[in-house]
Amino acid sequence: MTHALGSRSLDSFRDPVPQGADPLRQSNDKQIYGDSAQISHTGEVIESSTAQLVAESVRLHGAPAFGQFVRIETEPMPILGVVHNAQTQSLEANRRPSAYGKSEEELRLEQPQIFELLRTHFDVFVLGYLDGAYPVLAYPPQPARIHSFVYLCDAPQVEAVTANDQLLRSLLDAPGLPTDELLLATLCHALEARDPAHQQAYVLRTGKELSRLLRDDYDRLSAIVRRLKERQSTQVEQTQVAR
Amino acid sequence: MLDLTAVKLEVDAMVAAQVDAPAQFEQRLNHAVDLLLEWGQAGRWQELQQMTQSARVSWLLAEFYGPFAEVIDAPTRESKLSVAATDGSQIFPDRHEISPCFLLNIGYVLLHYGSGERALLSSRPQLFWREHELYQEWGGRRTGISRDVVGFRRALLELTELAELAAASQRAGHSTLAIIDGTLIMWSLEGRPPEFRDDCLRQIRSALDLLADRRIPLAGYISQPGGSDLVNALRIAMCPMSMTNCDRCPGLQAGPEAPEPSSESPPIIERPCDPLQGISDAVLLRRVLQPGQRSAVFGSGSRILDDYGPHGVHFFYLHVGKEVARVEIPTYVAADSQLLDRVHAGVLDQAQKGDGYPVSLAEAHERAVVRGADREAFYRYLEEMFVRHDVRARVSLKGLRKRAAAI
Repeated sequence: MTHALGSRSLDSFRDPVPQGADPLRQSNDKQIYGDSAQISHTGEVIESSTAQLVAESVRLHGAPAFGQFVRIETEPMPILGVVHNAQTQSLEANRRPSAYGKSEEELRLEQPQIFELLRTHFDVFVLGYLDGAYPVLAYPPQPARIHSFVYLCDAPQVEAVTANDQLLRSLLDAPGLPTDELLLATLCHALEARDPAHQQAYVLRTGKELSRLLRDDYDRLSAIVRRLKERQSTQVEQTQVAR
Repeated sequence: MLDLTAVKLEVDAMVAAQVDAPAQFEQRLNHAVDLLLEWGQAGRWQELQQMTQSARVSWLLAEFYGPFAEVIDAPTRESKLSVAATDGSQIFPDRHEISPCFLLNIGYVLLHYGSGERALLSSRPQLFWREHELYQEWGGRRTGISRDVVGFRRALLELTELAELAAASQRAGHSTLAIIDGTLIMWSLEGRPPEFRDDCLRQIRSALDLLADRRIPLAGYISQPGGSDLVNALRIAMCPMSMTNCDRCPGLQAGPEAPEPSSESPPIIERPCDPLQGISDAVLLRRVLQPGQRSAVFGSGSRILDDYGPHGVHFFYLHVGKEVARVEIPTYVAADSQLLDRVHAGVLDQAQKGDGYPVSLAEAHERAVVRGADREAFYRYLEEMFVRHDVRARVSLKGLRKRAAAI
């Protein structure tokens, strides 16, 4: 043994790679990993294909919001996607969580190990890729590499991705996604990324594009528009959306 | 391949023989409880203590320090307590495999209660492949390392690493309890080559020194314990001889007058203490202890402890709710009521949290365990690396045959 007896630090017993940091006590992470381990990514790719990928969230319960736009830093170029599902489950296939009848705070104090045995994963639908700073809404030539980091898109990126109707087409054509929910959620994120002065114009344009894309399905269109209106009334103070 | 039909008749016979057992056992158990309550009370226990000290028997006898029939209620656990635990697992050296190396994997767990601090769960493998690690030379004879020596190395590593982990935790300001799976008494070191034995004992002593020095209580947790040190002592109470000497047992057919040791095993009719045969301490104390309560602290008479230096090993039984477990503690814990209480309350709380078995030990096991698939993957990786780097190596024909048994 290279150390004098009883002189080792607690860190020498930790796994070398910090995994699944603590959600509610983010301030603790600093204490645990040291200041050098400031984590800026939100997830890490663990399954990857051309159209879909799965990422493990850095923080337990810390997946990006439903419908949020993400950027995967990978070769040959960064990939853009939208989060359409998140789940938290046991890290080990043969161990299932079971009910304790205690609040999360109580569990944290008296059953601290369970938070180390859970992981949050989220699913990303691939929208396109970044060619320099310019988003291309077409499948990337190569899927994201496993273990690539996932970042939240910043406002200019969201604005660029949502600049034309290709996003709506991609979502409407995607198989197996909760498309209508996703349309609404992405629209909210698109609005947030825009200057308030331009929000109404954006909503109007989107409404028009939707009515064109869904002209064969009036019921669906009106349901989407109605819900859009409801959201809109709380988000931006506008009532008239599409007519 | 096991032919179940072939063994069926034997199973039937075994079951038939056990059908009558419970009623008889119950009677014998009641007798044992009576003996415990009679001899274990204040004013009486010293007498049995003296009798056990002068007895000449081949079994392990519990040592008493007070009225040993007493039961102690669980103290409340400190609101802030950290529990450190380790467990180990191994890939044994296999001479039919590509390399005779072996691997030890230690799982570490440190759970902080009452503070909300993040738990530490990790594991660390160690590969042993150097010449001096794979071959041992004792008394001039050089042999490949055996499975039981690997077992010893693992047990030692579990203990020394636990001491380090607990010391690190305590140093970081946490009031810590160290728990290890199994006994603290390495009785199987008896009869080993002296150099090996001394080396092992030195490591045990230094780990215990460290924990005692930092005043960190250590507990060895034994689930479903088979020990009967206490029951053995009660057998002395049943002995009709004024000074027990099993060689002159009145139950021997030859009788006490003719103690001529015959070359064959002595034919036994029935020894006076036979009614207590087969009763373990845990079964006996299950009748006496209520959930949460512990027994008195007993001393172990195991001979290997003579070489533990200043550290003896003591034990008590603890009713954790679903079973009576044996908890072993070093002398410095037994002598310090505050540390003893921390062990009692802490171990009980651990077992309750873990649904009958200490949660820290269960998690340490999960971290440490090397499953069959892991072992396979390890050897295949080894093989790939050997091939890639042109290292000459071969798998034995037996090893190959096991992997692909042709018809």
